[in-house]
Amino acid sequence: MSLVAVEWIESVLIGAVQAGTVFLIASLGEIYAERSGVLNLGMEGMMIVGAAVSFIVTNALGHGYAILAVLLAGLLLGLAHSFLTVSLRLNQIVVGLAITILGLGLGGLLGNAAIRRGIILFLNPEAPERNLIVQEAEKLPDIPIPFLRDIPVLGGMFFRQNGLVYLSLILAIVMWFILFKTRFGLSLRSVGENPAMSDAMGINVFRIRYISMVVCGMLGALAGSYLFIGYQPFWVEGMTQGRGFIALALVILATWNPLRAILGAYLFGGVEALQFRLQVLGVAAQLPQFLLMLPYIVTIATLVLLSLESVRKRIGVPASLGKPYSRE
Amino acid sequence: MKEKVSRRKFLGVSTATAAGAVAAAAVVAGIGGYLGGQAMAPPREVVKTETVPVTKRIKTGYIYVGPVGDFGWTHAHDLGRKWADQQFGNVESSYIESVPEAESAGAIENLIRQGADLVITTSFGFMDPTAEVAAKYPDKYFVHISGYRSGAAGNAPKNMSSAFAEFYQLYYLNGLAAGAVTETGVVGYVAAHPIPEVIRHINAFVLGANYSYKRRTGRNIKAYVNWLFSWFDPGKTRQAATALVEESNADVLAFTEDSPTTLQVAEEYTTQKGRRVWSFSHYGDMRQYGPNAHLTGQIVHWGPIYLEFYRMVATGTWQSVDIWTRIGDYMPFRWRQPVDKSTMGNVDGTLQMAPLAPQVPSEWQQLIKARYEEMKELLFEPFSVEGNDGVPIRDQAGEARISGNQRADRDMLWNMNWFVEYIESELPKV
Repeated sequence: MSLVAVEWIESVLIGAVQAGTVFLIASLGEIYAERSGVLNLGMEGMMIVGAAVSFIVTNALGHGYAILAVLLAGLLLGLAHSFLTVSLRLNQIVVGLAITILGLGLGGLLGNAAIRRGIILFLNPEAPERNLIVQEAEKLPDIPIPFLRDIPVLGGMFFRQNGLVYLSLILAIVMWFILFKTRFGLSLRSVGENPAMSDAMGINVFRIRYISMVVCGMLGALAGSYLFIGYQPFWVEGMTQGRGFIALALVILATWNPLRAILGAYLFGGVEALQFRLQVLGVAAQLPQFLLMLPYIVTIATLVLLSLESVRKRIGVPASLGKPYSRE
Repeated sequence: MKEKVSRRKFLGVSTATAAGAVAAAAVVAGIGGYLGGQAMAPPREVVKTETVPVTKRIKTGYIYVGPVGDFGWTHAHDLGRKWADQQFGNVESSYIESVPEAESAGAIENLIRQGADLVITTSFGFMDPTAEVAAKYPDKYFVHISGYRSGAAGNAPKNMSSAFAEFYQLYYLNGLAAGAVTETGVVGYVAAHPIPEVIRHINAFVLGANYSYKRRTGRNIKAYVNWLFSWFDPGKTRQAATALVEESNADVLAFTEDSPTTLQVAEEYTTQKGRRVWSFSHYGDMRQYGPNAHLTGQIVHWGPIYLEFYRMVATGTWQSVDIWTRIGDYMPFRWRQPVDKSTMGNVDGTLQMAPLAPQVPSEWQQLIKARYEEMKELLFEPFSVEGNDGVPIRDQAGEARISGNQRADRDMLWNMNWFVEYIESELPKV
């Protein structure tokens, strides 16, 4: 392969990781929620709130506080979702969509020029005037990792990125380990399979579902903050553009497995990166639209596969997904 | 407070005059009923008509497609609304933001029910609903932005007008600046949707870039276009702009998209990655998002257009019109100025060329200003042989689209569905 081709592939793959990380973080959260039996359709709303909060708090207090504030916002949204769906046992689809709509509205409200100015001044009365006005914020710095960064292709993909990209990869591994290799993970999965049985075995179904939903909310908001401070730091209302729903599709594609979610996320991100590089190459102009469909086709194909009982069993689709649990 | 005084004064004046002049009273349609008693006078007593300065207080409503926010297309319209309100004074305006196209008819009727005399809808997709509602309320007035239906054009009711502030001339001038600074001879364009408006902006930009680049080097410019298929998506725009720099080696990036992402990416390359990349302002002044990468740009001021419609409605002199403003329109002084007195860069009429970066060589600054001044009187047209440095404008298939002393006419501009030959990318079929 010529050097030019290697460079081209490297550029696509770097783009895939940068565009895909938002899907990865969000889908990790969603996997926990769904594994415990709670379908969270509020992902898009949680994401945009995370983006708005990171935008405002970064301009007031910097990145560190921004991430903390984002996690707190996500925690509150996750709590709200679980209170409504787990404690009050409301329909998860309705609650999820309501949180998406609420989040989109809340994001727009927070991002409003006058309101965000007020919040920034409240958090930091000494904030520079420019930070009160602009619709951007400082981007997270890239932290190249010594030695590893020089590996061809892989160096650019994984070792010359910002902290949230590293964190997403560590999270995927840790969350996979917890889910499949620990007692807590076993409880979480069994709650999603058969809450009544788990309850009888002494597992606190409500507690597990609350924990999963809160983790999901925090990661959803974190995904939104990555989209803003980690990827493209410009605030526009509705800037998530459906990425929360793509993350939901990704969970199915990854068959509720955090490690497979890494591959899936980079596939979805790769489509985003590849379409523009192919356009420049002059590959048939219709191709980008076809490429945009590709992840969904793969997702639908996965769904079809999952309809087979044997496949479902082997993969372990949460059998009680979407069903509220009540003790009789 | 000032408005209220003048309004009261007006009522006094008009009532007094109307007692003697029935015809004048008829002009004051808004208070016609009020004066019914006096109108009983026999017609032969009318010996002369007086012209009364009549403006009634009007209510206007705007339908926006996006959030007012503080950036982009809808923000520019909202600035126009505020400007027109302030200039006119005797007006009460309101707006509904983020209206989906499918729900626009209901939103327009809402504004009418709240008493709006004039409704202005500001997205292409609102065109047909606006025409429908206009037919339903013949005594109200409607203006649609960026479409082609109006009473004047004969494809909508008489109480509907259409208007647009056109950028292709500014894009051509931006292109001249791009061709004057590019080192690689490659320019890129991040574009939203393949529709005629965007296509003619791309063509105009590339023609301009080719003109100056060819004069400098004798070679043709190369241009690449990346389509987003979305009006805004900062994330995708980043990928599109990055791909243009890295894969096509472009060092000037223009865009039609609703965020300054392309300019931010250019700034990153220029200040952090040691690669000089230029970009522009679009719709609003975006300089603060890329102070080192900002070459020039296109800025719109909708206010003068809105003010004209306010005046028509308030004075009862409505006429359905199809306004398509270019350089020169609504400018207080429309005559060509000498280059050293050029008003380019000022807020002038409905369009504004963003300030030119000082790195553009002075000979090109002079030419750009000269062209700007010529366009005030339409002495120069980008889509002409002159605009292409003396050779016919050919499309990608090599067919001459404009030759001899032809100029693009409105139909060609409005229906443009071909790329000029200097563009390497294919135009998607839609």
